[in-house]
Amino acid sequence: MQDMNLTGLFIDMMGRLGLNYEFLATGYEAQIWRDGFITTLYLVAVTIPVSLIVGLIFAACLTSGRLWLSAPVRAFVELTRNTPTLVQLMFSFLVLNTVVSNMLGGAQNNPLSPFFWVVAVVGLHVAALHAEAIRGGIEAVPSSMIEAARGMGFSQFEILRYVQIPLAFRSSLPAIVNGLISLVKSTTVGNAIAVSEITYASIMVWTQRDNVVEMMIVLLAFFSLINFVVARIGQWVERRLAIPGYGL
Amino acid sequence: MSASTDSAIVKLENVHLSFGQTQVLKGIDLTINKGDAVSIIGPSGSGKSTILRCINALVTPQSGKITVAGTRVDQLTKESERIQLRKRVGIVFQQYNLFPHLTVLDNIVLAPTRILGADKTATVKLARELLEKVRLSEKADAYPGQLSGGQQQRVAIARALAMKPELVLFDEVTSALDPETVGEVLWVIRDLIRDGMTSILVTHEMRFAEEISDTVVFTENGKIVDYGPPQQIFHSTDNPRIRQFVGGLSGGGRGAVRDGEGI
Repeated sequence: MQDMNLTGLFIDMMGRLGLNYEFLATGYEAQIWRDGFITTLYLVAVTIPVSLIVGLIFAACLTSGRLWLSAPVRAFVELTRNTPTLVQLMFSFLVLNTVVSNMLGGAQNNPLSPFFWVVAVVGLHVAALHAEAIRGGIEAVPSSMIEAARGMGFSQFEILRYVQIPLAFRSSLPAIVNGLISLVKSTTVGNAIAVSEITYASIMVWTQRDNVVEMMIVLLAFFSLINFVVARIGQWVERRLAIPGYGL
Repeated sequence: MSASTDSAIVKLENVHLSFGQTQVLKGIDLTINKGDAVSIIGPSGSGKSTILRCINALVTPQSGKITVAGTRVDQLTKESERIQLRKRVGIVFQQYNLFPHLTVLDNIVLAPTRILGADKTATVKLARELLEKVRLSEKADAYPGQLSGGQQQRVAIARALAMKPELVLFDEVTSALDPETVGEVLWVIRDLIRDGMTSILVTHEMRFAEEISDTVVFTENGKIVDYGPPQQIFHSTDNPRIRQFVGGLSGGGRGAVRDGEGI
């Protein structure tokens, strides 16, 4: 009950400022809105590791020197960099998802949810950005250092794993953090295919309550906060990985 | 470089190698016995470093036989086979090439533990012994970027030794160093040779080559012009070209003989 009183107090105070947060006192709309925050955080938490892992794999393919690995990834990177994420998402959900449903004999058998498609499309889109940044870092490792590692009996994969990626990750970290900040913002495309993340939930509320400004204030503050945290974590990692006596 | 093949650890027979149109090695014959220290000298571009790269299969010649520690290197077809060979043949380069993101100790421990699968504790112990040997015990936790060139090169030697190689190749290991630090690196190599490590050095340090080598090989234009004990190559050769090349040794010091220029 203490909680209800606090909510009531908040609604009352905001009301005096001319801001309408009355929906918080309702069960249904407040629930949608709270779930929206959780869905967005969940989307971000799942998509970030997906983008990093796939980005690393893409970068490895791009620098492998094997055409059958690099050509398809290069084609995908170009396609995804040069087309709108929203269009990619709609194409994936309306076309690819339908193809999967048909192959499995009906939508009821299709395990792929709209949530999945947002993670896949946004994750792969940002992975393409990561891949380009990491590729640059991999190619910046001096060839003499790679020859030294080869001379010690490192395989191509071991050179990538122990020498190139640790160095490339450090040099591409600022670009990766930028990619992750853009990823956080891109999760809002989910509202186009009815994934009830925070923008979708906010729209649901403001169409009922006509309180766009109030919802926008929270939306903007929420995304600013997430990206503030992402940037701070990025800085922390950068400091942790800094190499003494080395220009990175 | 004796005729006996029993103790030969490296044997090159009529090795030819080109990069594209450029012929780099034009029929190299070379036999090196276990425990020997061999210096390869000669002007830049004469194929010295390429000989070393052939021995540990970093490059593959177009023709000729190469036998290293019982392995026919020229017959290796798979990269995995070449990797097996490289694990047994240490190589140290001009540019040290330490891994900048790892401490000195981790640089030494990485390959034995990750590539050879050696026990971590034993390898760390070995690494500390090697650091003592190259007189850098106090730098175990430093990063390469915090060391001088000479210190980095000594770590690179310790890193090569941690693989317990059957022979070590030194490719102009002092050429990138300032004169003051050359000595500390040569000191370490001298110790190593005294301990009986089979060593093949490509070098421009003529005095050092004369002092530590069992055999000196003179190369020019992709061929071995002459070889023999240091006394013979440096002081009693009949070959006018070699006399000209090593001539700077007595008068000009190391600056004069570097790259065979200034003669």
